[in-house]
Amino acid sequence: MQAVLRSAAAALLPWLVLVALWEFAAARGWMTTTLFPPPSQFLQYAIESDFRVGFGKEGMPIPAAIVASSLRVVAGLFLGFVAAVATGILVSMSRWASAAVLPIVRGLAPIAPIAWIPIGIVIFGLGNPTAVFVVFTGVYFLLTLSTVAAVQSVEPRLVKTARTFGASKGQVWAWVIFPAVLPQVFTMLRINFFAAWMAVLAAEMVGLKNGVGMIVILGREMFNPNLIMLGICIIGVTGYAVDALLLFIQRKILWWKPAE
Amino acid sequence: MSSLKISNVRKTWQGERGLAVEAIQDASLEVSSGEFVAILGPSGCGKSTLLELCAGLEPVSGGEILIDGERVSGPNPKAVMVFQEHSLFPWLNVEQNVGFGLKMKGVHIDERWRRCREVLERVKLAKFAKHFPHQLSGGMKQRVAIARALVGQPDFMLMDEPFAALDFQTRVLMQQFLLEVWSGFRSTILFVTHQIDEAVALADRVVVMSAAPGRVLEEVKIGLPRPRSMTDPRFNDYRVRLTAHMEREVMRAAEVL
Repeated sequence: MQAVLRSAAAALLPWLVLVALWEFAAARGWMTTTLFPPPSQFLQYAIESDFRVGFGKEGMPIPAAIVASSLRVVAGLFLGFVAAVATGILVSMSRWASAAVLPIVRGLAPIAPIAWIPIGIVIFGLGNPTAVFVVFTGVYFLLTLSTVAAVQSVEPRLVKTARTFGASKGQVWAWVIFPAVLPQVFTMLRINFFAAWMAVLAAEMVGLKNGVGMIVILGREMFNPNLIMLGICIIGVTGYAVDALLLFIQRKILWWKPAE
Repeated sequence: MSSLKISNVRKTWQGERGLAVEAIQDASLEVSSGEFVAILGPSGCGKSTLLELCAGLEPVSGGEILIDGERVSGPNPKAVMVFQEHSLFPWLNVEQNVGFGLKMKGVHIDERWRRCREVLERVKLAKFAKHFPHQLSGGMKQRVAIARALVGQPDFMLMDEPFAALDFQTRVLMQQFLLEVWSGFRSTILFVTHQIDEAVALADRVVVMSAAPGRVLEEVKIGLPRPRSMTDPRFNDYRVRLTAHMEREVMRAAEVL
């Protein structure tokens, strides 16, 4: 517990220094605070506006926006991970399936998640499914490829060991190859999380009109730098929190290395 | 009574672009029940391949292997293999690793735990049942690997240089441990090694294999009572005799390269 606190403090310290410099510069008049408001200013703005942004139909509480964006990205990551591991393993089981499916996956993998936004809006309309779809496509193809690669790099000795203990082909896939590939694919998921997070924000900015991405756009539309800065901060902090959650899963649940 | 009979076995690996590599040329060997046989040979002589053929992990290219008169055509619960290292499932704890084979066979969970506990008691690892492989030392990991093999009460344990990755001190302790366990379970052991001392210290009989492609060159019965001491002059006689063979084969292997 003490170690956790210490590492949290270590991560926070550089930020405190940065904020202090920012405040200092703003107080000395080195920055135009109307364009680049310091935290003391935009946080106060958030408190004064009762943690709500926008008006009327477009208005929403900030906590609800954070929850909405986080749930979208987590749902998309979860579905993408599960589907990619399933596809990667099923495809690896048959040479024919790999030959048929992998070229397509390889062609779709380099497409930036943001590029899927118009397609998502056409298929699913303006709503949560589009955001989840964008995250899903952003990670699914890449993770399918990394699952296939992970299957190929499973320690042959583990497979041989399982077979010598009488495991059938299906049992080898279920009890050896499946658990062996999980950590590696999850690491790739974590690496690709940032791209997925950015895609959700972009989707919120251009179409969905709610969530954290919307806070920045509202700020722009209303010429309100406080709102823009607030939005940027929330995006950073929320992304950091989700990444910390992924890191936790990686370290505590999917902790094993392919060969130990 | 269980028996293993290897007759005129050949194994050729089909490499890329039709390039074939002959791993075993002509190996014949008979192992009778309860025997401890060491297969000694230079690195790359096909001795590990021979074990994998016995375990049914790979098909033979010629000849046949019989276990209790039955031709080996796939993995056989009567003959399990113990590998050098990195063969424990890192995501399973000690108990689950040991119970793996029983689980694959569909043994009921209560029965499984009872038998795992029993074996872990015997290899003195009961205290570590809930530990994960990365929390264990190299020697302990190999004890778990041996326990995992023993829990299914196999007739044959096929051991592929199981102690090669351990430091000298641990290796000597593990050899003693293996002999103790063997005297309790009385599985027949086929033990591959490239270390002469290890072969002489452990086996009833040492089979010397040639450099690649592997053939059985000679069989030496080790007529020493156990426990054996490396400082015994007779131990040394065997060592000298086997060293002469090994030297020749190592040189031959070097020439082939």
